[in-house]
Amino acid sequence: MDIAGILQGLEASRLASTIRDSLLLFPLLESTHVIGLALVFGTIAVIDLRLLGAASSERPFRLMASDILRWTWAAFAVTALTGSLMFITNASVYYHNFYFRSKMLLLVLAGVNMASFELSLGRSVHRWDKAPSAPPMGRAVAVLSLAIWISVIFAGRLIGFTTSRAKQTAPTPADTSLEELFQAAPADSGGKSAAPSQKK
Amino acid sequence: MSQFAEWLSTTSLSVFLQTHNSWAIPTIQSIHIVGIAIVLGSVFMIDLRVLGWAGMDQTLRQTTNRFSPWLTGALWLMLATGILMVIGEPVRELITFSFWLKMFLVAVGTLVAVAFQKSLRKNEQRWEETLVHRGATKWLAVLTFLIWASIIVLGRLIAYDHVWGSWSPATKA
Repeated sequence: MDIAGILQGLEASRLASTIRDSLLLFPLLESTHVIGLALVFGTIAVIDLRLLGAASSERPFRLMASDILRWTWAAFAVTALTGSLMFITNASVYYHNFYFRSKMLLLVLAGVNMASFELSLGRSVHRWDKAPSAPPMGRAVAVLSLAIWISVIFAGRLIGFTTSRAKQTAPTPADTSLEELFQAAPADSGGKSAAPSQKK
Repeated sequence: MSQFAEWLSTTSLSVFLQTHNSWAIPTIQSIHIVGIAIVLGSVFMIDLRVLGWAGMDQTLRQTTNRFSPWLTGALWLMLATGILMVIGEPVRELITFSFWLKMFLVAVGTLVAVAFQKSLRKNEQRWEETLVHRGATKWLAVLTFLIWASIIVLGRLIAYDHVWGSWSPATKA
């Protein structure tokens, strides 16, 4: 089965059409996604700032990591689940969306960044656990992590903005804008006129 | 209010934001989301400490000292980007039920945070020794988290105000 077939299969699924046909489900998924990502970014930032020595520098790093990162993972699970549910409602549009692809790439980079930290400094953590900031490698990972996660948020917002099928209240600029380019893809079978729209 | 929104949409800053909306609006919205992430993250860390679920190596006072400057800073950032979003899309924002309920909850959430910090500063020992262990305090921690989470939901619902049916001024327009 080719990728187009898989994407169409996802869109045609009962779950996807249930979400599309509901007035409330899509916005609630979006909201839960934002709550999840807020906690992912918020808690990761706490750890990154600790690595940088910019905040909480009096607390042992390992204690903080074990204290906080389980909440990060729980929030990430919520974000991934709600993100997947939004994805299947309009899979082929998202799949071809530039910002969606960028975001997935950024998430992979975030994972690689995290793995490089674990593999390098994760082993020597007992040596700098109580130091006010991590060794240079750890600080570099922290800066990258903050930059990547902020970019993930921007890319995520742009996915919604560029796949929006809802009318804009603001007048659109005369020149061809990105959102018009991305709007072309056919939508769902739709029930209601106010069908859940991946929008701003 | 709709007259005000109409007027606001004719101001030069609004016109600028409208004509550059393909990048200006999502950029401002993204900064707004980074802001709410810092707000919710800070509230979350303080709440976890109150509930005894994280940060138990720190006192209550140390925890709020660590996170409340970030909470305050992020709230100002959200106010600034929020005002720009209203100027950029006055009708879409102001003529909704979600926006005004959200503003009400922002006021409540901010007041609770300010009152908590004032009280903690005044009765530090009492908070650390007895108040933090009370059931009511734990429920307040859960409630404040829910207030900020609801603010996120309502922020998203501004774009879907029709879900409120006849409560939404947008459906009457």
